[in-house]
Amino acid sequence: MEGERNVASLQLLCPKDMLAYFLENWLYQWHAVSSWTWDAQDETCGICRMAFDGCCPDCKLPGDDCPLIWGACNHAFHLHCILKWVNSQSAQAHCPMCRREWQFKE
Amino acid sequence: MTCDTSTAGCGLEKLESLSDDSITEISENWNGFCCSSEALLKGSGDLSFSDEFVMRAKNLCKHGLSSLVEQHFLRCIEEIFERNGAKRFWSYFEPYRNAAPSETNKDLILEEEIQQVICKALEEISSQKQFQEKCLLLLARALQSYEEDKLQGQANPDSTRVYLFSKYQLIVSSVLLASLPHHFPGILHWYFKGRLEELSTIAAANFEDEEELSMDDKMDLDEKSKLPYKCGDMDSDINHKYAVFSENNKLVKNIGMVVRNLRNIGFTSMAEDAYASAIFFLLKDKVHDLAGDDYRSSVLESIKAWIQAVPLQFLQALLDYLGDFTSCNDPSPGLKSPLASHPSLCYSGTGIPSEGLVRWQLRLEYYAYETLQDLRIAKLFEIIVDYPDSAPAIEDLKQCLEYTGQHSKLVDSFISSLRYRLLTAGASTNDILHQYVSTIKALRTIDPAGVFLEAVGEPIREYLRGRKDTIKCIVTMLTDGTGGNPNGPGSSGDSLLEELNRDEESQENTTVDDDINSDEKQAWINAQNWEPDPVEADPSKGSRYRRKVDILGMIVGIIGSKDQLVNEYRVMLAEKLLNKSDYDIDAEIRTLELLKIHFGESSMQKCEIMLNDLIDSKRTNTNIKATIKHQPQPEQRDLDVSLDNLNATIISSNFWPPIQDEAVNLPEPVEQLLNDYAKRYTEVKTPRKLIWKKNLGSVKLELQFEDRAMQFNVTPLHASIIMQFQDQKKWTSKNLAAAVGVPVDVLNRRINFWISKGVLAESMGADSADHALTLVETMNDTGKSGPIDGGCEELLAGEDDGERSDASVEDQLRKEMTVYEKFITGMLTNFGSMALDRIHNTLKMFCIADPTYDKSLQQLQSFLSGLVAEEKLEFRDGMYFLKK
Repeated sequence: MEGERNVASLQLLCPKDMLAYFLENWLYQWHAVSSWTWDAQDETCGICRMAFDGCCPDCKLPGDDCPLIWGACNHAFHLHCILKWVNSQSAQAHCPMCRREWQFKE
Repeated sequence: MTCDTSTAGCGLEKLESLSDDSITEISENWNGFCCSSEALLKGSGDLSFSDEFVMRAKNLCKHGLSSLVEQHFLRCIEEIFERNGAKRFWSYFEPYRNAAPSETNKDLILEEEIQQVICKALEEISSQKQFQEKCLLLLARALQSYEEDKLQGQANPDSTRVYLFSKYQLIVSSVLLASLPHHFPGILHWYFKGRLEELSTIAAANFEDEEELSMDDKMDLDEKSKLPYKCGDMDSDINHKYAVFSENNKLVKNIGMVVRNLRNIGFTSMAEDAYASAIFFLLKDKVHDLAGDDYRSSVLESIKAWIQAVPLQFLQALLDYLGDFTSCNDPSPGLKSPLASHPSLCYSGTGIPSEGLVRWQLRLEYYAYETLQDLRIAKLFEIIVDYPDSAPAIEDLKQCLEYTGQHSKLVDSFISSLRYRLLTAGASTNDILHQYVSTIKALRTIDPAGVFLEAVGEPIREYLRGRKDTIKCIVTMLTDGTGGNPNGPGSSGDSLLEELNRDEESQENTTVDDDINSDEKQAWINAQNWEPDPVEADPSKGSRYRRKVDILGMIVGIIGSKDQLVNEYRVMLAEKLLNKSDYDIDAEIRTLELLKIHFGESSMQKCEIMLNDLIDSKRTNTNIKATIKHQPQPEQRDLDVSLDNLNATIISSNFWPPIQDEAVNLPEPVEQLLNDYAKRYTEVKTPRKLIWKKNLGSVKLELQFEDRAMQFNVTPLHASIIMQFQDQKKWTSKNLAAAVGVPVDVLNRRINFWISKGVLAESMGADSADHALTLVETMNDTGKSGPIDGGCEELLAGEDDGERSDASVEDQLRKEMTVYEKFITGMLTNFGSMALDRIHNTLKMFCIADPTYDKSLQQLQSFLSGLVAEEKLEFRDGMYFLKK
């Protein structure tokens, strides 16, 4: 009887209220797992050919330590890779992929 | 007369020149000599014929017949000795022909009897010998005086006597030995054994008294001091014991007399054999008695002390006694065995033990070492099983081996016991590894160079290579010490981790060692520490690798390459990290640091990133939650609260082992939470986004029912299953599977967890494949009452399914090997059939490009048998074919 009453009351609740209900009743602590990925079109860096989700050859830790950077042409590279490239060009640097003038995306 | 002809050789001219007178004189004298010598020898102690005997002998000598006289007399003596002495002597022992040698016969009366018989027989034969010697002395004097007359006193006064006596001695011993009954040595042995046992019981009683005394004295002192005797104590002990021993001098004298008599009749070496073997017998008994099956204490010292106390004291007394006697009247200096003492050097109370005694001591100690060593080697397996506790036994064994140098015995016997007891299908891999580690540790003590260890370890390594779960067990051993379960049974893990720690300190040296440009100082130190390899070393194996016996290195050696080990470690680490619901990874960081030192930074790079991910996750998690507080969004109040209930581990999936991704439908609210979390993540970390691995992670649930509250720590799948029951109390398994988004069979497996916990009840529905499931609201519903009521259930539910969230090493291997599948099929199309070796070699030869072929023969074999199972290949007579 008691159970049926609970069901009945549950069905009356909208989803958010229901959440509140079982937070009250069935406490839980959810530990989820996810993986992060760079939101880029390509998989690998055009310069070092390493995965974006990995890191450039000079880095040890991916993610914050080895970020991606987008050019005005919308091509993405490891920051360290493109900086190396840009610094090695004596005159104006071009995007290694499309040969347009390299500008960091604002 | 035959004797006459023998003298003919002296010179025929002499014979011709003999006048009739002299012939009559000679024959008269000869007859007189024969009679008198017979009478002399037969007369019991009566020397009345001596004058006539001496005169006749002298007369015969005058005619140049001295050698005839001599020979005749010796022959007479020999005959009489044989007839009377030897026969009677042996007849004493006749009754004991069968009784004596049997060891089990502990008849005290018999023993006593034999003891008396031996004494009596020896005494009698000695007195007979003495008497004959007296007679011989007469002859010697006669010959002597003749010589002196002839040469006017220029002859060596003693030469004749010495010559005759040595000849006589020879006759006596050869007569006796020629008629030696075979049981006599046994009787002697028995006799000495009995005497020595008697002595040792007396000595042991003294020993114990003293020990008690000394214990009383030292009661308040450190306990250690009573175990091994200190040197200073030892001296005083010995002195004291010597005094006690002199009380037993009677016994020793008794034995000494027997020995002396035995020596007297030429049985020097036999007597020595007998008492030596009796002493060794006693020593062996003592060693077995002391050593026994207790490996927790060192026995070597007490054995040595015992040798000092009993057999050496006895020998000292014996040699003392014999020495006194023999030095003044030694009839047979040439007949001594090399082990007999030199009486002139005998211990004479000056405190310097005689050379003979020292020799005996060395001999006894060697024997004790050898006995103990054999005993320990036979039990080495057991000793190593309780290794850290049995260290004293190992230490003993080490000393014994240093002394005896019979390492090869150890290796052979240990290997055979390993084969018989450890390397069998029944032993678990963990046990084998544990024993291996103990073996390494124990043998490292015995032999720091690791030569024997190499020989012993080889069969174990060989065997472990054939086991599938070896790598897993090794990694568990490596990591479990830090796993934070101190009450767990796997204490072996601790020992390996300890090893890691220990290596950390020694690593500095070894890295320098490996460096070619190591500084010269270090090189000099290394050169100075150089020691030649033991002779048993196998020259085909480079000595360079032998230098450092490091346990981890040897463990890695089982697997062959560290990469495999690191890989397995990574998989296990991943599993462990993904199941963590907090971010506490201190223990893992420590282990990783230690492993990094050992395996090199670069090979542990990925593992480091994994740990770093967790640290980052913690930070990001806090950040994301902080943003909520800073910018409250009123329309999402409910979720604000609930975001506290969500934590996330964010991984860099490229660096983690392949993770099985299963689709799960999470409960709606959780789904919302995740989306919200991801959104916030993207805000914080643009332009990065999150991809949820919904089947991974852990959920802490507290289910509250009317009559109970239960806590669970479960996988997300379990959680989402049970949460479905919040909307709806009754589900059929098909519907539930659809709602959760997993196949029915997977669901059924998971549902068993909740059923077993009494949360869900299962009942057969109309369709047999479609069970009806209901939530058990009150315990009474199922009639169960139990301790779970209101209790807390802590369990990571995923584990009892035996399912791992990430791909195992084998799966990885299969994935890697599929690259070669087309190579293999290509090869087989060309060649028709190939053996395993050939495939392996061909792959090695041709696959040098991008995916370099670096697999072992075993790995290839398991891959090929996989292909056979998939019916792509066929395997017949050791050859692989393409399936047609």
